[in-house]
Amino acid sequence: MDPLQEILRQVVGYVYPNEIELHWGLLIVIYPYITGLVAGAFILASLVRVFNVRELQPTYRLSLLTALAYLIVAPLPLLAHLGHPERSYEIFITPNPHSAMAMFGFVYAWYLTVVLLLEIWFDYRKDLVVWSQQPHGWRRWVHRLLTLGVTDISAQSLGFDRSAGRFITIIGIPSAFLLHGYVGFIFGSVKANPWWSSVLIPIVFLFSAIVSGIALMLLFYLLGTLLRSKAVDMACMDKLAMFLFYALVLDFSLEMLDFIHRLYEAEESIHILSLLVSGRLFLSLVILQAFLGTLIPLLILGLISPALRRGGMVNLPDELRRLLYVGSAVLIQIGIFSTRWNVVIGGQLFSKSLRGLTVYKMQLLGMEGLFAAAALLILPLVLLLVLIAMLPPWAEAETHPTGA
Amino acid sequence: MPPQLTRLLIVFAVLASGLVAARHFLLPKTFGESGHYRTAAVEAITKQPVRYAGREACALCHPDIVEIHRKGNHQTVACEVCHGPAAAHVESPSDHQLPAPRERGYCPLCHGYDPSRPTGFPQIEPVAHNPLKPCISCHNPHEPRPPHVPEDCRACHGQIARMKAVSPHVQLACTRCHETPERHKTAPREARPDKPRTREFCGACHAQGASSPKEIPRIDLATHGGRFLCWQCHYPHQPELN
Repeated sequence: MDPLQEILRQVVGYVYPNEIELHWGLLIVIYPYITGLVAGAFILASLVRVFNVRELQPTYRLSLLTALAYLIVAPLPLLAHLGHPERSYEIFITPNPHSAMAMFGFVYAWYLTVVLLLEIWFDYRKDLVVWSQQPHGWRRWVHRLLTLGVTDISAQSLGFDRSAGRFITIIGIPSAFLLHGYVGFIFGSVKANPWWSSVLIPIVFLFSAIVSGIALMLLFYLLGTLLRSKAVDMACMDKLAMFLFYALVLDFSLEMLDFIHRLYEAEESIHILSLLVSGRLFLSLVILQAFLGTLIPLLILGLISPALRRGGMVNLPDELRRLLYVGSAVLIQIGIFSTRWNVVIGGQLFSKSLRGLTVYKMQLLGMEGLFAAAALLILPLVLLLVLIAMLPPWAEAETHPTGA
Repeated sequence: MPPQLTRLLIVFAVLASGLVAARHFLLPKTFGESGHYRTAAVEAITKQPVRYAGREACALCHPDIVEIHRKGNHQTVACEVCHGPAAAHVESPSDHQLPAPRERGYCPLCHGYDPSRPTGFPQIEPVAHNPLKPCISCHNPHEPRPPHVPEDCRACHGQIARMKAVSPHVQLACTRCHETPERHKTAPREARPDKPRTREFCGACHAQGASSPKEIPRIDLATHGGRFLCWQCHYPHQPELN
């Protein structure tokens, strides 16, 4: 059957002809999800570097590599969606400062080159020099290239690396805010759409980004440690869970503020939005995002993490606590993905006439389909494995040259 | 300066000069001279051949038809919408004859039923409306008028009629709620139908004590809905069931 006819049968009420089929599909859902993970992972790394949270040291390098792997993939959903990747360079050649979307290229380039690559470079420089001097292995050639020919690892030189890294992280925090705040800004500034048009959206996006980034790093850290058959640092896990709880509380409060404000303001769109929430988005918003993705993890983390009381409100053995942390982190990932879905897809399900609802018919194949989106979600994991192989982030890989 | 900083500055300088060089070669020559576009594009567009003549050109040779058209309901539809681009015809009328659409497929482009069109816009169901007959055998496209007065409301208010046909109000004639002057059929915008003006009008069937069949939903007029008229909250052409 013609897809349009199939959708038309599920349209309820009055929908303008150009709103029946959604223009922004699954790829635009995973784009904010991925950039959120970048910003979140980076903010976690900055907790170590700038705010000296020593317990989180084991996740520092892994967070940076994760941020890099996801950042490289971040623009790909957009390029696949627009369909002309060969034209993408034009936004750099003819920059248009009046277009928020066009400025993304510069925000992205700034974040990639000036913040992330530089911070990783300064942090790994000593190790790169030592690894490049290994007598065997093909990797030493890559490492030699990455040193950019600077082999000075004197104490004074390493001291400069440390302060430069710290300085870049300080610049990096507002940059990470800019990167993901920008994504929220794009949605928040669509003034014709009452579901998106809110000044709170960039901030809500930012905090949900931090939540998703910390949850992801909790999973990656545990997975990385278990796969290497090493002992899990429970102090680190507890600290991650603690920050995850704090970020989740902030995120949830902001989302509730947005929700209550909309209800209280009760603009003319409130009827169609309440139909949307209680109907088309009930599963993804109420069940997945609010209940499973937020309330359950809040409850678990609040009870067992040391966020509210040293040792947790309920004292559980390490293994069980770890298991519950993982469960919460997985639920949070599902919840944050649902958040992106509810914003992007939800915002297009109701008509601008405020009198009708349409449906989203997901494709399986094709550039905008489920398989393409799944590939884009798997790609950062592959990149991360390559990055980990090239630049091992684990403590035992760190070199301790004499005199340093 | 620490050696690593020097090396980084060199790398960034190479990247920046690469960008500047790329911009030099890739930027279209006239880009940005008069705005965020290629100025030469305007010239390229103006060089394209002119294909349309405009209705003033038509009036020079066909004043009688233009005069009729100017007063009719199609006054905002330019001649070339139906007859196609006319510049070549104006240059040499006998060499370039303009087509006039006579087949049935053309008029329904605007007048075929589509729920997104405004109510009252003349719309027909091409399959059911005088099948096989060309539109122009009954309607003069230069001065389109229905050949006779519409027989019922559906002729113009198809969307509402379709909605009402599947609603609990299907049994109610339109005129039960809308007092409609006879002249509305010939001058729809000058003589408009009425709408119910009191809550008691709906109350005749829906009030607690109304003498209507008991399946009809009841409300207490004294407490329900405050000072609002019923149709300000309930859409009478498709009233909700609960």
